[in-house]
Amino acid sequence: MHVDLKKELTTSGRGRLGLAVFLLMVLIALFAPLLAGHDPVDQSRFAFQSPSLSHWLGTNHVGQDIWSQLVYGARTSLLVGLSVALLSTLLSALVGASAALIGGLYDSIIMRLVDALIVIPVLLVLILVAAYLQPSLWVLIILLSLLGWQGGARIVRAQALSLKERTHVSAARCFGGSRLYLIWRHILPDLSPILLVEFIYSMRRAVFMEAGLAFLGIADPNMVSWGMMMREALDFSYLNVWLWWLLPAGAALSLTIVSVTFVGYTLEPAMEPRLRGEVYA
Amino acid sequence: MFSRRNLVTYAIALLLVLAFNFLLPRMMPGDPLMAIYGEEALVQMTPELKANLVERFALDQPMWQQFGAYFGALFRGDLGYSYYYNAPAFEVILGRLPWTLLLVGLSLVLSTLLGIVLGIESGWRRGSKTDRSMLAGLMALNGFPDFFIGMVLLLVFGVTLGIFPLAGALTPYSGLSGGALLLDVLKHLALPLAALTLAHIAGAYLLTRNTMITVVKEPYMLTARAKGLSQRVMKYRHAGRNSMLPVITRTGLWLGRVVTGALFVEIVFSYPGLGYLAYEALLARDYPIIEGVLLVVALFVLVANFLADLSYPKLDPRVSYAR
Repeated sequence: MHVDLKKELTTSGRGRLGLAVFLLMVLIALFAPLLAGHDPVDQSRFAFQSPSLSHWLGTNHVGQDIWSQLVYGARTSLLVGLSVALLSTLLSALVGASAALIGGLYDSIIMRLVDALIVIPVLLVLILVAAYLQPSLWVLIILLSLLGWQGGARIVRAQALSLKERTHVSAARCFGGSRLYLIWRHILPDLSPILLVEFIYSMRRAVFMEAGLAFLGIADPNMVSWGMMMREALDFSYLNVWLWWLLPAGAALSLTIVSVTFVGYTLEPAMEPRLRGEVYA
Repeated sequence: MFSRRNLVTYAIALLLVLAFNFLLPRMMPGDPLMAIYGEEALVQMTPELKANLVERFALDQPMWQQFGAYFGALFRGDLGYSYYYNAPAFEVILGRLPWTLLLVGLSLVLSTLLGIVLGIESGWRRGSKTDRSMLAGLMALNGFPDFFIGMVLLLVFGVTLGIFPLAGALTPYSGLSGGALLLDVLKHLALPLAALTLAHIAGAYLLTRNTMITVVKEPYMLTARAKGLSQRVMKYRHAGRNSMLPVITRTGLWLGRVVTGALFVEIVFSYPGLGYLAYEALLARDYPIIEGVLLVVALFVLVANFLADLSYPKLDPRVSYAR
């Protein structure tokens, strides 16, 4: 499992395209205050303005500048995506690797729990939780992470199980390597491509879920979100404002998810073909 | 033959859902009655009703007795009472269930079939221009959230062109029957179905294509060619049938995803299924309905997974020999 991920990514046209678009989104999110031109939550009495030089994408129903909202929406989307990906990949690695290395009863209990979590409709659980507490951004990130690690844990466990039996690991053990040394020096580095792909798919799922939940009205009221913009714009579908309100928000969201997907699919053949089916989430 | 391990998994999943439903409202600070029944209940609350409800859910008893009361009620098909709809939650959910079943069922069948056919065609000519453009196109389609696809369809075909109705599942008070009624239902179904199907083709397509690529290299394909079979027979009967198998095992898992997608699509089109119901309940803080929808959908997904487990050995005899 020694794979040159960088080469894999830069030789594929789709991978390069995905990476370029994603980096562009990151730049937009980072430099949002410079690009926006208006405060995204500043209301004005000029509602439903058509696109003009001062409002590139016009204004919405309460007179907020849509272009600025779009730019700040990238921040929310990527912040949630990256944080959830980091947390849930960490959880997947911890749970999956520990199950594989400890084995026995612990392994079977954990894996039953993982399988059960995989079949539960997570979105409805989130709706139920959100009906009780209006989650802030960080609560949302934690909730999404807690409900998003199970698929990855299974993949990490399968990989760790096979790595454990590889000859170079046995050799290191023969030379008296301690358990921690083996994990740190041999197992973790070989898990890293899988963890990277898992990270990318978690991010994709999180960006999608954040937008979906915001579309349902489950969002931090202090943050601008593409899902929320789409929800608000849909209520005015009888006006032609959707052309510069709904479509750009949906396009930005789709572009982000497609770019992440392209990067993910490009890296995937680098992993064990046996696992291919598992990662299509 | 089905594996006992899977049954244990489904039992744990069901218990987890029940635990969510039981614990969440009872862990909330403040009045548990409010947390169990929702805001609407407080408006109608009288001392007698309150005493009645406390007794019914054993709220003055220790936790384990409360769980017993909760479980007993579930067994009688009592999912609680919705004060928003003024009807038992079970009845409200049952009334909405057929629409979701119709939407999810048809979309699952259509997206799986289309995905398999496209996957077979694509994998058969791997590396060709058709294959490459199909792959790129469907991967991109996979990135579009289902509710956005729904909105675009709604805005183009509903609002701008006016071909399809904008909301609902039936024309209200139309008094239609027979063929006209069927046509009306189909017309309302068309856009949500198209949105959901488009959003879910990619899963079956990618999996079929991947398997197809490995299957065409099998020795039996060479034998088939040597026998002089036609391209079509080789492609569909020999390679295609084997490439379908991984898709079938995943139908159960996909179902969960399609149901989730249906929730969003229903909201976009105000389609009166479980998703729209859950959304209305979320806005009204009508907790018994949300919990009921969660339970019903979870049961539905678990049963479908179980059925997929049962059907798999019938499709691939190798599985039953292996056990």
